[in-house]
Amino acid sequence: MRCFNVASVDSIIVYFGNEIGEDVAKEVRDSFYALKSANLKHMIEVVPSYTSIMVSYDFLQTSYKQMCKEIDEVLNHAEEFSHDITTRSVSIPVYYGEEVGLDLENLATIKKLSIDEIIALHANKEYFVYAIGFSPGFPYMGEVDEILATPRLANPRAKVPKGSVGIADKQTAIYPQLSPGGWQILGRTPIEMFDTSYDGFSYLKVGDKVKFRAIEKDEFLELGGEL
Amino acid sequence: MIGGFEVITAGIQATIQDLGRVGLAEIGVSSAGALDEFAFSSANMLLGNEYGTNMLEIVFGGVKLRAKGSTSFVLTGAKVDAKINNKPIEIWKTYKIEDGDTLSLGFASSGTRVYLAVKGGFNIEKEYGSCSVSIKEKIGGTPLKVGQFLPFECNILQNNYKLFSKYVPNYDKITTLRIVAGYQWDMFEEYEREKFFKSDYKVTGQNDRMGFRLTGEKITSTCKGIVSEPIAYGSVQVPAHGEPIVLLKERQTIGGYPKIGAVIKVDCFRLAQLKQDSQVKFKLVSLDEAREIDMDFYKFFKEI
Repeated sequence: MRCFNVASVDSIIVYFGNEIGEDVAKEVRDSFYALKSANLKHMIEVVPSYTSIMVSYDFLQTSYKQMCKEIDEVLNHAEEFSHDITTRSVSIPVYYGEEVGLDLENLATIKKLSIDEIIALHANKEYFVYAIGFSPGFPYMGEVDEILATPRLANPRAKVPKGSVGIADKQTAIYPQLSPGGWQILGRTPIEMFDTSYDGFSYLKVGDKVKFRAIEKDEFLELGGEL
Repeated sequence: MIGGFEVITAGIQATIQDLGRVGLAEIGVSSAGALDEFAFSSANMLLGNEYGTNMLEIVFGGVKLRAKGSTSFVLTGAKVDAKINNKPIEIWKTYKIEDGDTLSLGFASSGTRVYLAVKGGFNIEKEYGSCSVSIKEKIGGTPLKVGQFLPFECNILQNNYKLFSKYVPNYDKITTLRIVAGYQWDMFEEYEREKFFKSDYKVTGQNDRMGFRLTGEKITSTCKGIVSEPIAYGSVQVPAHGEPIVLLKERQTIGGYPKIGAVIKVDCFRLAQLKQDSQVKFKLVSLDEAREIDMDFYKFFKEI
């Protein structure tokens, strides 16, 4: 299922499905890279999310209908791109200490599990990067173990420290910088998520596979982590 | 010769803006950029600057600057009492400011955003492809601070120029926001849409570079929440509280609230000049109409 709709006077939204899932996510990823490499004339920007992609275009030069047609043609061959994309596997070190895992204790209580069990549930799974948004370099990843899945905090924090690793329902993410937020915080990574020195500026890219590696406090500090 | 403005009073929020960042929404970076492109592009046009040259976007005025070296400059946008030393000057008109002179702005009596442009723009390094300050993301610097120095190349126009008064916008009229149907339009039932287009809305105090929340008749959609998706400029988001939020240049790149469509660009520019409690109405236009109206704007400024 692929459907096109108007997003604004100069942008189109293409839907690939209605529900979050790895199959749709892969289709989005393949389509995203297909569109980027097709580099259609008059295409300005391509933004992927869980089940959709938005394309903005130079509306002075081309029309909605023309652009939809061109996008559709590219997407008919998008699958061919999936062979070209080497899925990156990225390991992200996380210090799951209680001084940085602000919601660990509370989660352990709610779930009737030990803190170590909570950490193991989070770290022993591979996640797919569905989208990057909310703030620069913020990766939306899924899906966390059903047992671990927890709604956002009823009262979001005014300040979530930079590098915080959190969960919200079945999603997990990393806060690239100090910001307000309501995700349940389990730990902190010393890795910069957004930096001019990275190719493409963002540490993670849509379609990456991510695994968290539990580290001790010493290693966290050595890698430049801040408490 | 390099001159510049020294900031004596920083005002409430003044930021350097150009037309923003393109191509980074895929990694969560908002476009940022001048909220009122009419005032912005008029300023560049009057100074004979290149399209998209950076300038200051000043919320409500209240800024005081001292010139080092001289330059031609212009103020556009919101109506403020402005003075060079103690001599009142007009907005929408170019002037020369000399070394040691002080430019001071009072507070806006009509409109909310004043643009201050100098000939050739400020000498500011681009970050991620743009000079625009993105406040929330802390990209491109910060809002103006006392003691800051804004360097420029000293350039003086031979003649001064003024915008024809018929083009000067009146920010006190009831503003009609024209919108194109899009996104979850189909999930708003007929009578909900009718309510939306018939009602008067008011600008609330929750208005900033990210978006403007409006208050008035509440509307609901049949939508029980959507999967987060990319958000276009001008999108009209209707969360569960039923009041529309028009998303502007510092909007989040993706979000999970239903949207009824998007306000056309030129009307987003007008919205950005509205004060709290200003009245607005929505009007539906076809995509073709919207394209024609917005096209006229860009053709005018780009093809001069």
